[in-house]
Amino acid sequence: MSQFDVGGWAIEVDEDGFIQEPEKWNEQVAQALAKTEGVELMSERHWKLVNYLRDYYAKFGIAPMIRKLCKETGFSLKEVYELFPSGPAKGACKVAGLAKPTGCV
Amino acid sequence: MSNNNTRSHRAHKVIERMGKKLNRQMVGSLVACVHCGMCTDSCHYVLTNPGDPTYAPAYKADQIRKFFKRHYDWTGRVLPWWVKARSLYTDEDLEQLKDTVFGKCTNCRRCTVNCPMGVDYPTVNRMARGLLVSVGIMPEGVAVVSKDQWEIGNQMGVLKEDYLETLEWLSEELEGELEDPAAVIPIDKMDADVVYSINPREVKYDPRTISDAAKIFYSAGENWTMPSEGWDMTNFGLFSGDDDLGGAVARRLYDKVEELRGKKLVISECGHGYRSTRCEGQNWGKVDVGFEMESSVVTMLRYIKEGKIKVDKSRNTQPVTFHDSCNNARSCGMTEEPRELLSLVTTDFREMYPNRAENYCCTGGGGAMSMSEYTPRRLKSAKVKADQLAATGATVVVTSCHNCVDGLGDLIKHYKLNMQVTQLVNLVANALVVEKKLAVAVPVMPTEAAAPLAGVTILVADDEPDFVTFASTVLEDNGATVLKAYNGNEAFAIAHSGKPDLITLDISMPGKSGTEVFEELRNDPALKAIPVCIITGKPELRKLIYERAVLPPEGYIDKPASEEALLLNVRRILDHVHHRTSA
Repeated sequence: MSQFDVGGWAIEVDEDGFIQEPEKWNEQVAQALAKTEGVELMSERHWKLVNYLRDYYAKFGIAPMIRKLCKETGFSLKEVYELFPSGPAKGACKVAGLAKPTGCV
Repeated sequence: MSNNNTRSHRAHKVIERMGKKLNRQMVGSLVACVHCGMCTDSCHYVLTNPGDPTYAPAYKADQIRKFFKRHYDWTGRVLPWWVKARSLYTDEDLEQLKDTVFGKCTNCRRCTVNCPMGVDYPTVNRMARGLLVSVGIMPEGVAVVSKDQWEIGNQMGVLKEDYLETLEWLSEELEGELEDPAAVIPIDKMDADVVYSINPREVKYDPRTISDAAKIFYSAGENWTMPSEGWDMTNFGLFSGDDDLGGAVARRLYDKVEELRGKKLVISECGHGYRSTRCEGQNWGKVDVGFEMESSVVTMLRYIKEGKIKVDKSRNTQPVTFHDSCNNARSCGMTEEPRELLSLVTTDFREMYPNRAENYCCTGGGGAMSMSEYTPRRLKSAKVKADQLAATGATVVVTSCHNCVDGLGDLIKHYKLNMQVTQLVNLVANALVVEKKLAVAVPVMPTEAAAPLAGVTILVADDEPDFVTFASTVLEDNGATVLKAYNGNEAFAIAHSGKPDLITLDISMPGKSGTEVFEELRNDPALKAIPVCIITGKPELRKLIYERAVLPPEGYIDKPASEEALLLNVRRILDHVHHRTSA
């Protein structure tokens, strides 16, 4: 466990930088996490993707398949990787405050 | 066995079960070490923690040796103090062992290369992992992934319909890109020359490698297919030391290839998957398979050499280096094929030192990527690899292993190297000169077309595991895909995610009851059209359903249900619905 500085206050993250206190997630946290994943400024398109991930995770407790993500948000695979260079699993899920995806990722 | 009274139940089991694991190879590695120190500097953990002897391979092996000697070797039984034999007593002892075998070794086997005594410590380490797993002691990440692989059939819990839908989507994109309706991913094609298996991460998070492979198979005019089941070639049994899991996972692949009468199983670029499926799986699964197995690296190289595909290496001009996956290179001897392939598809290759069987671990091997608790140690030990990468001057590091992709990706970020990680399939696809007319049109043929329920997905929701097993066996035997839920909440969630064609619903379930689930289904715009068949052992409960202000269910079955009754009702409902929607 370690602390991640959000700017004035800190939030608990695991050793891979995924937040451990999902209830404390907010837009400021997302923006700060985004910087660590190569996204300087969250655009409307970034938010759309992040919000979809959060909704899906709240409902099913698991990150969606990339197919679902593309279908529901209208982004192509290429666009997803342009938005989050480290990819949907490590990049977008981390920013959205999801738990670290399990398995070989 | 002595001291049973003072030993914890788990410690007792670990010692007892060790006896069953002791084959000649294992005992050889346990008794042969002379503590000469040749292995010490071979380990990336030692090199980055020079002051800490607990990382030395011989020291780590001694943590296992000492209880082996105490209980299974005559030296330790007669002269325990002389050979430093010591038993395991408490759960605390087991936790310490866990920290060593999971947290201080990636099972990369580099320490075996220079051992004059032929000791294979990682094999012993894996055995110890298996003993701990058998008593429930393991990092949480290992537990979660193993569970998914046991229960859902792949390590990321990808459902069959999601897998198939993703492949269909990739097919459509490919067809569009290549402007050829024949450019598709054939599913469950019988008698294919190549059955292609993948890592779930490809289908779940990054299917670009699947598209690239499909493009290559298409260009080569290959008679290929991807299986609808048994497609996960990764195997957490290798990491957890659980031979039963390893065997079960490997058999799923083998059985499917045999069912499809495939001639060759091709394994996508994954080191541990290749080793598990091709080299270890038959031993774990106690089977012999009658078809060939091949790494996709070899397949791609073959295509170029046989003139089946044409490549233009001038499309990959960035300076590249190659990282050998421990499982591919050290454990399976695949060192030259990837280099030969790279020389054909890139223009600026730079060797890394040391290389081939002596290359350093990516530092994410042995399941380390899924054990977050050890991440700081992992990243510290990665300094060796980071220096090795930086010295090549390359901007791209190529590897034939997904685990290495992640291990390297993490350390590149941590040590701020200016590098990208990629795989051979991406480079080959990028260099590919597509000649569209090569491919023969291949129709997508569903298997078991004669089965009455082929192509139908049915959700069976019941809290009695026996009934779920019974119903799913009957339905699957008739070609249906069955999703299973054991309580009301699960039923509703799976109905949402799996979009079944029919739901069989028990009324009395813990948590949300069947009646509540039924009402919610009927009130949900996305789910209200799914036909529901109520199955209950208490017919008097039916009135609970009638009392709801929603459309009645499409069918009822009383328990105990016979095979005929179940099938008849399911088929009747589906026919009726089909009639209704097509009318």
